[in-house]
Order: sequence, then C-alpha cells, then structure tokens
Amino acid sequence: MATNLEQREITVRVKRFNEDKGEFWSEYKLSVDRFTQITEVLRRIKTEQDPTLAYRASCHMAVCGSCSMKINGEPRLACKTLALDVVKKFNTDVITLEPMDYFKPLKDLIVDMGDFYTRMFKVKPRLYPAEEVVKGVAEQRLKPEDQRELWKFAQCIWCGLCVSACPAVKEDERFLGPAAHAKGYRFLADPRDTLYEERLKILLDSSWRCTYCYQCFHVCPRDVEPVTTIKKTRAHTKFSKEKTDVMSTGERHVKAIYESIKETGILQEAKVYISTYGLATAITDMLHTMRNGKMKYALIREKKVNEIEQIRKLLGD
Amino acid sequence: MKVAYYPGCATHGLSKDVDIATKKVAELLGLELVEVEDWNCCGGGFLDEYDERAHVALNLRNLSKVEKMGLKKMATPCSVCLNSHRLATAKFSEDKEIRKEVTQRLQSASLQYNGTVDAEHIVWVLVRDVGVERIKSMVKRPLTNLKVGAYYGCQMLRPEQIMGFEPAYNPHSLEDLISATGATPVRFPMSTSCCGFPLMGSNPKGGLKLAYNVLSSARSAGADLVVHPCSLCHLQMDVTQFKVMEEFKTGWTMPTIYVTQLLAIAFGISPKELGLSRIALKALEERGIT
Repeated sequence: MATNLEQREITVRVKRFNEDKGEFWSEYKLSVDRFTQITEVLRRIKTEQDPTLAYRASCHMAVCGSCSMKINGEPRLACKTLALDVVKKFNTDVITLEPMDYFKPLKDLIVDMGDFYTRMFKVKPRLYPAEEVVKGVAEQRLKPEDQRELWKFAQCIWCGLCVSACPAVKEDERFLGPAAHAKGYRFLADPRDTLYEERLKILLDSSWRCTYCYQCFHVCPRDVEPVTTIKKTRAHTKFSKEKTDVMSTGERHVKAIYESIKETGILQEAKVYISTYGLATAITDMLHTMRNGKMKYALIREKKVNEIEQIRKLLGD
Repeated sequence: MKVAYYPGCATHGLSKDVDIATKKVAELLGLELVEVEDWNCCGGGFLDEYDERAHVALNLRNLSKVEKMGLKKMATPCSVCLNSHRLATAKFSEDKEIRKEVTQRLQSASLQYNGTVDAEHIVWVLVRDVGVERIKSMVKRPLTNLKVGAYYGCQMLRPEQIMGFEPAYNPHSLEDLISATGATPVRFPMSTSCCGFPLMGSNPKGGLKLAYNVLSSARSAGADLVVHPCSLCHLQMDVTQFKVMEEFKTGWTMPTIYVTQLLAIAFGISPKELGLSRIALKALEERGIT
C-alpha cells in the first residue's frame, strides 16, 4: 500500500508565560507529515529547538486529558489533533498554540487545574453504594438500559477543555461548569448510588445557570455532551422540595413553553413571558420594546397549528 | 430555486422584521421560499429538557411536512430552530430507543418521516446555493462606509459535528455576506460567544451580562453595527437592547440587525420599509442610509 508521507514545513507560534518575563511569543519552524500530532510537534520543538518550552502531555491517545490547549483558537487535545488537519481546516501553514482560557497560566502551555478539580470534587465524583453492597452481602447490579444511559456521560477524562470554553463559568461563580455537571448527572442517574437527595441539592440550582451555547458539546474530545446532562438534570427539578430563584423561574418558563405548544402548537411569546416573569417585569420590558419601535410586532396574532390533535399525540398525550 | 421555509415562532412574533427582510431578499434573488404547511414550534431550545422524545417528534413533524411537499431542504432564519431540528434528526438516526418511540408517536399521528430532509440555515442557502456572486450582482447601494461586526452566536455553529456547514472556530459565512454588500466585516473577540438569550428563561441577570459582553466587544473592535443570524439573538440584542443598556448603564447603543436586513438595505430597500428598530434606524440615518 502506498503511503503518502510528504513533508510540509509549518510555523508554530506559541504563547508563552513565565513569572520572570510575563507573557511573550516564540516561533518555531519544522516539517510535519500527515501523521504528526501536535504533541509530537511540541516534543520535537522541545528536544530539537528549545528545551525551555513547557507543556503537559502523557498518553498521546486522548485518555489522560493532560494536553489541553488552544490550537488556532480552538480548545482541543494536542494529541488528538494532527498538524496537517489544522493547516487544512484553517487554510494556513501557521499554527498558533495557546494555553487554555480561564485557568491561571503557570508556565507556557501549562495551566493551574486546581479550579477544575475543586469543581469536580464538589459533585462527589464517585459511586456511593448501598451499605449491603459495601459489606458484601448484596450484589451491585446495573441493567443494560441504565448502563446505556450512563455510558456516554461517564467518559470524561478531566481535561478541562469544556470549562475553559464555557461563558457561564466565567460570569457566574455559582455555576459548577460543564464537566462537573456531566460527572454529577452520571451518578445522579445511577440506580446503584445512594446520594440522590444530596446530589439534587448540589446540582439543581447550578443546572439552571447554563446558557446552552453548546461550546462544551463542541470541544469535548470524548463526546460526553455535558450540556445534554445539564438538560437531563433540570428534568429532576420536580423532585426537589426546596427551590431557588433560578430553579423556580426556569421551571415556570419551560412549563409555560410546554403548555403553549400543547394548547396551540406554537410558542406564544407574550403568554410564556408573563407566566415566567410575572406582569410587572413584562410591562417594564414592553416599555423597552416600545422605546425601540418594536411594539407593533408584539401585537401580531400568531397563527396556531390547525392539526392540534397531531401535536398532542406527538407530545405523548 | 425552491426551498421550504420554516420561520419559527419568534420570526412570526417579536422578530417579525427578520421575516420581512428574509422574504424580500429571497424574492429579489429568485429564491422561492414556500412556508412549511401548518408548521409547529420546535421547542425553542427548551422542550428537550422537559421531554426529549416529544421534542424529537415535534421537529420531525415539520420535516415530514416538507417531505410531503416534495421539497429537499427546509431553510430557517433562526439558529435555535435550526439547532433544534438538526439535533432531533441526529438523535432519531443515532438512538435506537428514541427512534422506536418517536416512530410510534409519529404513526399514531398518521405522520411519517423518511429522513430525506433536514433543516438548513438561510445563511447556508444564501452562501452556498444562491452564491455570493449573485448576491453581489444585486447590490444597488454598496455600503462601503460601514464597518459591520459579524456575530455568529452559538447554535448555527455548534456542535460542529451536527451543524456541519462551517468550522465553529473559523466561520466565514457572515463575513462573506457582509463583504458582498460592500461593507467591511469586523471580526471581534466575542463573535462566536453566546448572546445569553437561553439564560433569560432562568437567570436573566446572567443572560443580560452575556449580551452586554458581545455588544461591548463589537464596539471595542470599532464596529458601526452588528449583524447576527438568529431570531432569538434578535430578541435579546435588538428588540430589548435598551434593557441591556439600562442594566449596565452604558450610555451607548450598538445597532444589531439580522443578516438579511443588511442585504436588503444594500439591495436598495429602505430601512424604514424593513421595520428596523429605532436604534438601527438612527445609526443608519447618521451614515446617510435612509
């Protein structure tokens, strides 16, 4: 079989940092072929050109989660990224490597992951089995359908990429972040676990602080889909006795959407708005809308779905 | 060319001006938009958290209508409607359990989805099917003195493996369309960040902060106005922009219009006829665009 190992010269620009010099950039040139991972690029720079360059990498196979960084601005694992794929995707021979956003830089591409681990430990990231199981008098059983539900969400490698890309984490200290939610849900929904009530308390308020931007879904190198676990966690709000403001508002909002669709087949903005926020806020926002000359659109009578029986059947009624 | 058109609830409600401009632009370009018969809400990005299977079933109802209409594509101007339909088809094809139950629900409603149609963004249809050259040829009023921030938002781009039209970290569709009007596209640091609309349903203060971040980032990059591709970004950053500005006491506004509104203006239609917001009308007037 013919193997195309054509070499191509690329330029690698690395955003660096150390406590003495602060932030600075270094540039390196080297030849790569279609099998060259970014971790290999970094290894060759360090051994052949610049021993002072600092980065983390260990397994080189997307399992250890050490080599997270921004590659041409995109949060990725360096080992799971081929240099020539980046060249093709961004249509440039220049590859820019930067440390992940959000985390404190320690040296060059290495960041302090302490904040990430704190988030993860907040959700008690292990199984708390029943006493009989611990004593060895009962078996720990998991049905295949339950395993199917949990499998995807249990694949997190603690790389931190999703947290580094999350806009809600940066703005809201009460939001646990995507990875912790994936881990939290993976145990919340595990029938072998015994901490359900406690996990609800840890996860629910935070779950309503996600903005559904799909960054975590996009950047996760293991296809964990943290945002999906946040959606699934929100569905447990009805089992919680205590509700915070964001939980109650969020629950009213989604219920109003469901009711509106069930009744009319469409989302009646005004009705959903008033049910969620109450009349006072609705009036204030109406004034903002009016001031911007948009009130005329609020008065449009939306066309309802004719075949509403079809909609109710699809909703499972 | 004829494609099915799914406006979605906001586009037929408070973001009606998105609908007006999109239809005008399509008509001038010879793109026939046929509204999906008796379409229903996609769930607004929230229904799946309440009932995942109902969400998939409702979205497939719209696509099954398009199949029945004999069309191959369903274009929508709303990124959330796009994301919702594409997530639904992805789940339907990948998840056996969901496919089984959703098929039953569709059958009980005498509906059938054969998987021949998926949702596309109107921007994709404009850039790929109509073509930037054709759009350029329709420009009557080149907007050469305008610096336009290209704001992609979230759901048209991510997850890239399901949206698939362009790289989520290197998109160019909006810049291509802005350039076609003669205006100068401005890429700003928050170009692909969230406008905060989905957070308005539970944590409005947090949602407004995200909108503020985007608008101030565009302002710092020197944009005269911002274009975006989503009827829900429109609600957040155009319709209720005064709310954002009041919350952060900015003293400035950043006109934010839908991408087909910019095209329509370049095609010679007056901003007033398009029903733009006062913020946008004033900013355009100051630059001699009436």
